[in-house]
Amino acid sequence: MFILLRQLATIRRDAHLSRGRPRSLALRHVDAGSCNGCEHELGAVSNPFHDIQRHGLDIVASPRHADILLVTGPVTTRMVGPLLTAYQAMPEPRVVAALGDCALGCNVLGDPTDVVGALEDVLSVDIRIPGCPPTPDAIAEHLLAALARS
Amino acid sequence: MTAIEHVAPPAWRETVARALVEGQRFAGAWAGGRDGSLTWRALLVSQHGQRVISCPASDGPVESIIELAEAAAWDEREAHDLYGLEFSGHAPLRALVAHTDDPAQWMTPVSGEGVHQVAVGPIHAGVIESGHFRFHVVGERILAVDPRLFYKHRGLERAAEGHDSDGALLYAQRACAACAVANTLAYAHAVENARGLKPDRELRIARTVLLELERLYNHLHDIGAICAGVGFAPGSMAFAALKDRAQQINQRAFGHRFLFGTVRVGHGGLALDASSTDAARRALRELHADTAAAWRELEFAGSMQARLDGVGVLALADAQRLGAVGPAARAAGIREDVRMASPRLAYDGFTLASPPTANGDVASRLNMRALELEGTYEILDDLLQQPLAPGATAGVGTAGTLGVGIVESPRGGTTCAVELDRARVARLHLRTASYANWPALAFAAAGNLLPDFPLINKSFELCYACVDR
Repeated sequence: MFILLRQLATIRRDAHLSRGRPRSLALRHVDAGSCNGCEHELGAVSNPFHDIQRHGLDIVASPRHADILLVTGPVTTRMVGPLLTAYQAMPEPRVVAALGDCALGCNVLGDPTDVVGALEDVLSVDIRIPGCPPTPDAIAEHLLAALARS
Repeated sequence: MTAIEHVAPPAWRETVARALVEGQRFAGAWAGGRDGSLTWRALLVSQHGQRVISCPASDGPVESIIELAEAAAWDEREAHDLYGLEFSGHAPLRALVAHTDDPAQWMTPVSGEGVHQVAVGPIHAGVIESGHFRFHVVGERILAVDPRLFYKHRGLERAAEGHDSDGALLYAQRACAACAVANTLAYAHAVENARGLKPDRELRIARTVLLELERLYNHLHDIGAICAGVGFAPGSMAFAALKDRAQQINQRAFGHRFLFGTVRVGHGGLALDASSTDAARRALRELHADTAAAWRELEFAGSMQARLDGVGVLALADAQRLGAVGPAARAAGIREDVRMASPRLAYDGFTLASPPTANGDVASRLNMRALELEGTYEILDDLLQQPLAPGATAGVGTAGTLGVGIVESPRGGTTCAVELDRARVARLHLRTASYANWPALAFAAAGNLLPDFPLINKSFELCYACVDR
């Protein structure tokens, strides 16, 4: 355990991360049909190299606790219902973010009978994070810009 | 090419039964064709090679083979949902890909005193792929679990039809990020097999490096995920950092953290000069040392180790019966790895990792990954001693319409079948290791406590994306 903690402390020291500003946004993620690449990278923004929580950004378990709905993947016919349920469960004001090229509708999406389309076709999108998948740096950058605007 | 053995519907079951008695193993089945000319094909593999048998499926039900090979259950359910095939002897034929509102259409009926259901998903509490689990429980004890996947079904196989082989490659890659190399390589092997092409030594080496780099970051991720499954944050974060470092090596060497776009059909797409392979090799050696140190710590983390033994057991007989593959199967004592016989890749002299114990529980699956990481580091260290050249293929076999490719993904044997119509892809079928292992995961969860399910789930760490396609 102590070696693990020392490895983590070394990474934190070498990464020279700043403390961030005292504000916060709560994120709720919904996978509407992604290839799991955006999920891996969204997970990586919480790893010791990025540690997005230090900026007051946190991924929360329920849409009822969230300010931002972060959606990955093209929206499949089988996920459009659960996606809208999650959106409707959020308190207002609420913000919708499209994470990755599929959610933005500019990728190889699939067959039209199984895919409704880009996130824009279902919900109005406030934050666009391009990339296939977007790197953890890019995700953090876009979310911090949103935090600065909020 | 892979020859297609045509059999009439009455001989279908008998042919499969004979093949299984002869020691061949069921490795997937797929429907194809259009109304009026539907076909139903099965892939059977053994040490001596692979064969595909086919029967027409438009004139009434085909005899089910699930009593012979239980691993075919999901294949038959999928063919029914997507192609309308009927199977006699498979009752009830429950919905798999098709999502209906009536739970009786897809759920196992479970009843008794104190039995109740717990519904989880499709949206989960963490950053997890979408999928639904219906637990049938008494108190805290799981009696059975029905995984209901395919929420992310994007029709990728159908969308790939009609494209040339380079165009269809993009759909194979889109199936799953974490298995992108394995899936596209299985696809490339299938197309090259159909066209009678064999890779040269350079191409075999470059592709093996890619496949092992993919295994590296996945296994590191999976060990971290098991730590998260028991709430052991230091281990989870340490392995998340190790995984990120592996992906940074991918980025520096090949320009992409998930190695997207590195596999091409018929030739290689990348070259690394001596200074790049040297740099990658040095970074991997440092990563290896830190992985070993972190792993030693996990072995002595009592609060974590106490949670692993005897949980989520998949016994050897059940793993064989359900057709489990990969680290999960090897942790149950199955001594199989596609890398032992991969003439299209550079695994010369590959020896199977032998775990000291193979109990089929969470502990065995965790230890199996740590053991396999050692092999992966060794292979990469060996292959990166020289610069990587793109490589090419040469025509040495007979060209035909059907090709099959099998590779060992981080999660096990992944199969791709491609049917060509001149230059176009007429049918692409991807049967990934996750697809093969989901029924085994559901089986292993039964009898355990509900709060242990996330841990059992993480110890298999199966993808949803490349099952749903």
